[in-house]
Amino acid sequence: MDTSTMILELSQATGIVGMEAGAVKTAEKMLEGCGDCSVSALGSLICRVKTAPADKPHIMLTAHIDEIGLVVTYIDEKGFLRVSGCGGIDLGIILAAQVLVHTKQGDLPGVVCTVPPHLQPDDTKLPKVEDICIDVGLSQEQAKQKIALGDRVSFVNKAGRMLNGQVSGKAIDDRGGCTSVILAARELAKCDLDCSLTVMLSTLEEIGSQGAKTAAEEIMPTHAIVVDVAFGHTPDAPRHQCGELGKGAMIGVAPVLDNDMSRQLVETAKKHKIPYQMDVQGGRTGTDSDEVAVCGAGVRTALVSIPQKFMHTPIETVMVSDVEAVGKLMALYIKDIFGGER
Amino acid sequence: MFAMLEKLAGIPGVSGQEGQVAKEICQLIHGYCDYHIDALGNIIAFKKGQKTPVHKLMLSAHMDEVGLIIVSAEDNGLLKFAPVGGIDKRVFVGKSVMIGQVHGVIGTKALHMKKGDEKEKTPEIDGLYIDIGAKDKEEALSHVNLGDRAVFTSVYTPFGDGFLRGRALDDRAGCVLLIQLIRAQLQYDTWFAFTVQEETGTTGAKTAAYQIAPERAITVETTTACDIPQVKEDKQVCALGKGPVVSFMDKGTVYDMDLYTKAMACAQRNNIPCQAKAGVYGGNESRSVQVAGKGCRVLAVSVPCRYLHTPSCVIKEEDMENTLRLLEALLDEFGA
Repeated sequence: MDTSTMILELSQATGIVGMEAGAVKTAEKMLEGCGDCSVSALGSLICRVKTAPADKPHIMLTAHIDEIGLVVTYIDEKGFLRVSGCGGIDLGIILAAQVLVHTKQGDLPGVVCTVPPHLQPDDTKLPKVEDICIDVGLSQEQAKQKIALGDRVSFVNKAGRMLNGQVSGKAIDDRGGCTSVILAARELAKCDLDCSLTVMLSTLEEIGSQGAKTAAEEIMPTHAIVVDVAFGHTPDAPRHQCGELGKGAMIGVAPVLDNDMSRQLVETAKKHKIPYQMDVQGGRTGTDSDEVAVCGAGVRTALVSIPQKFMHTPIETVMVSDVEAVGKLMALYIKDIFGGER
Repeated sequence: MFAMLEKLAGIPGVSGQEGQVAKEICQLIHGYCDYHIDALGNIIAFKKGQKTPVHKLMLSAHMDEVGLIIVSAEDNGLLKFAPVGGIDKRVFVGKSVMIGQVHGVIGTKALHMKKGDEKEKTPEIDGLYIDIGAKDKEEALSHVNLGDRAVFTSVYTPFGDGFLRGRALDDRAGCVLLIQLIRAQLQYDTWFAFTVQEETGTTGAKTAAYQIAPERAITVETTTACDIPQVKEDKQVCALGKGPVVSFMDKGTVYDMDLYTKAMACAQRNNIPCQAKAGVYGGNESRSVQVAGKGCRVLAVSVPCRYLHTPSCVIKEEDMENTLRLLEALLDEFGA
């Protein structure tokens, strides 16, 4: 399976915040042969790739597996659903969106209702998530039989391949990152390492990183590399806040991140000619790193990001070469810094 | 009938580029009628019945759909587009499109970078673009030509209690109904027109009606149903599950009252669920048919459709079936 197929397969798996089991299963299959897998109390996937004596370093590679979506909060008398957001929803994408309601009995297709323009006095304003309705083509009675409050709703979109090795689809935030982590794990599983290595794909990142915090507590690594997506530049976005697609791994620098690790990652990239760009932030990173770094007595943490266009939409777009660069950078960094037989 | 609808609704046919749809329809009616394609691309078909009707009758449905047209390529490889036909500007963002075989997406900067009311404001179409991943203008133009049409990708699916969701149900649903009639045995000779460019000015219907010069005509359409929670009942116009929608008036046409009355009575006599279009909104190609040549008495019979002109049109299967029943009954009624 090539990298683009891995990204798209993970992208199509279902794993809305708090209900990530489907996506976890897909990822677990991709980690086959890398090590023993288990699932944490909050649903994060943990794969023990290498176990070294306790006095050796223990590296954790992590990306989050949850995706944004909606949650059903009410079924009205005509069978239309009301919802709330699971994670930050871009209001611009909601109307007429095609959705799937994930129920115990299976997935039900639906559409987000749009009020036709002739009845919409002000079409310059987007509705709030709480004001939209979802049409599932069922009466209230039928809907109540099939759909439970709390069921999650995902936006569906045909995943697509674009020019220059770009792929687009839903949930590539952060299944693109999961792909990089899995690629690194596969590479490192074959090597002799003088450290422990654990992969962790976290749940609940989009609503506060509860998955990463608790799984890191269980793993208690000495070092962690968090992989997430970061803004890829588009003409309407401020240039200085964005990376660029195709320019490689974005190596993070921020107060909570370990300066040595950031520097060593840059050195590794230079040494092995892996394309990279810097991603500097003045405060919180808005990723799992904020929680992982302060876990237990503290974890030295690095952040490596994949530049992504159209974040939090069903058309999130990344370049396959960037996803591979991130995977390769992590694998070579660990081999160079923590490898055996040096 | 629904397998045919799925197939037809999946073929791109934005106004002015209906060729692929026309080709498929020709295959479906081949051997059941005489037909030809006219100068503008309309399919003009004549179905011989058992008898010649007193008044020459034409049924029409449009083949085109709303979509996008590529108007320029930027230096950075992004494509600027214009809407073809009326598309709600609130539905563009976050959608993917197909320009022929080229996959593109319409996005804006991440919501995290949007400030204040930018988050709640509809982006203007002028500021949007299609991203196909091209690195520059030259690469973009080696895959896409200016003037190419694009359609939203859409997953066609049955759902809920007998509902269908898909792109271009407006008006492939009408096309399918016409094809069903052509493939059946008819009592009276009937003309059929599958028209082009309805969404951009009911253009095809003008020339189709001119050539056929019917005395009675039925436009077979989809029409906006607003039977959703955010719309009060008096503004819902029509509802899914209540049968075909017969119009007495819309923004484009005042329909022939005699035909309207006969249609409503015919439905009642035959126990076919049927509803009047309860509101003067929208319009269709009847406006062109009515004034073609020496003029023609017109009627519109529509399948009620939610979310018209979006990538996610929704209709109900039983409404399609009841619309077909009503049209069959009307052909007999109007022929006599």
